[in-house]
Amino acid sequence: MRSTRNVAVTEEHAKLGHYSDPPMLVLASLANGPKHGHAMIEDIVRLCGTRLGPGTLYGAIARLEQQGWIKPLPPEERRQPYRITAEGVRALRAKLNTLRQFTKAGLERLEAL
Amino acid sequence: MNARLGHLLVCLYPHPWRERYGAEFEALLQTGPGDLRTLANVVWSALHEHAFPTPGLEIELPEFQTWCVRAPWAMFGLAPLFLLAGAYFVACSVLWSGWRIFLPGTSTPFVPIDGFAVFYFGFGRLLYCGAPILIGWGIGLIAARQRYNAIWPAVGLVLIALIGGTSQVHASGPSAPGGVGRINMDLALGPSVRGVPDGLIHALLILSLTVLPWIILRLQQARSV
Repeated sequence: MRSTRNVAVTEEHAKLGHYSDPPMLVLASLANGPKHGHAMIEDIVRLCGTRLGPGTLYGAIARLEQQGWIKPLPPEERRQPYRITAEGVRALRAKLNTLRQFTKAGLERLEAL
Repeated sequence: MNARLGHLLVCLYPHPWRERYGAEFEALLQTGPGDLRTLANVVWSALHEHAFPTPGLEIELPEFQTWCVRAPWAMFGLAPLFLLAGAYFVACSVLWSGWRIFLPGTSTPFVPIDGFAVFYFGFGRLLYCGAPILIGWGIGLIAARQRYNAIWPAVGLVLIALIGGTSQVHASGPSAPGGVGRINMDLALGPSVRGVPDGLIHALLILSLTVLPWIILRLQQARSV
């Protein structure tokens, strides 16, 4: 059962905004298997609560593909699935490691308060 | 989302982007909601793609278009002036040669003519009157096709209209019998009609004629977007 306090905290978090780095969110979504655009949007909502707009999603997909971090697979009807490449995995790992260090340092500072 | 609306939204993107992602993006749009938030997101993303194209999907500009960006003052200011000067030189040459061929012994070429001379002088007159308008249309067409900032094309159009409206051709007969007459050009506002110089009225007429196709092109582009 959700308490009033929990609802207030969740609303506070929502005001701060969700994590939004579309290329990284797309890479993270593809990290557990190939997906097409709609599946990516839903997966990213489950992953971090951020719902990417279709324009934002395809802006990220286009840049990631041109960088060679994702690759298209054979289309399924009109849907185009993508998979992450080895370079994409390296880039995602590097980014997540940076975020982990940042998170660790931030939490340590909070604990010191 | 409505299939037609989805298709229209995809059309907002630059051509190379549409070629690569258009079909799959349209399919994605059709499976999702067509709410205002989605519309705003797609429109904004399309504008962003125009302003900051994805590397590898840029629109390749022909050489003259890159010059329009690098040196707009030269493309829309100097080049049209040289073209107009060239056209006037040819028109004056036609007038001078026609004078010698068809009207030898006359003190001016501006006399009633007939026969083939009508076509010969007519060509020169057509070039003289039509050059500013044709060059103005050229400026407008280039500016409209590449959606270039309108300042330099406007400067070019006004310059061409002013020169076209105020240019006057004069002929002076030979100083000695059997000699060769002279053709020269100058820029003058000419006599006033109700306080407005004749040259200015001509300039405004040329400007209106040259700006009109440009306005139509821009309106068509705006509608297609």
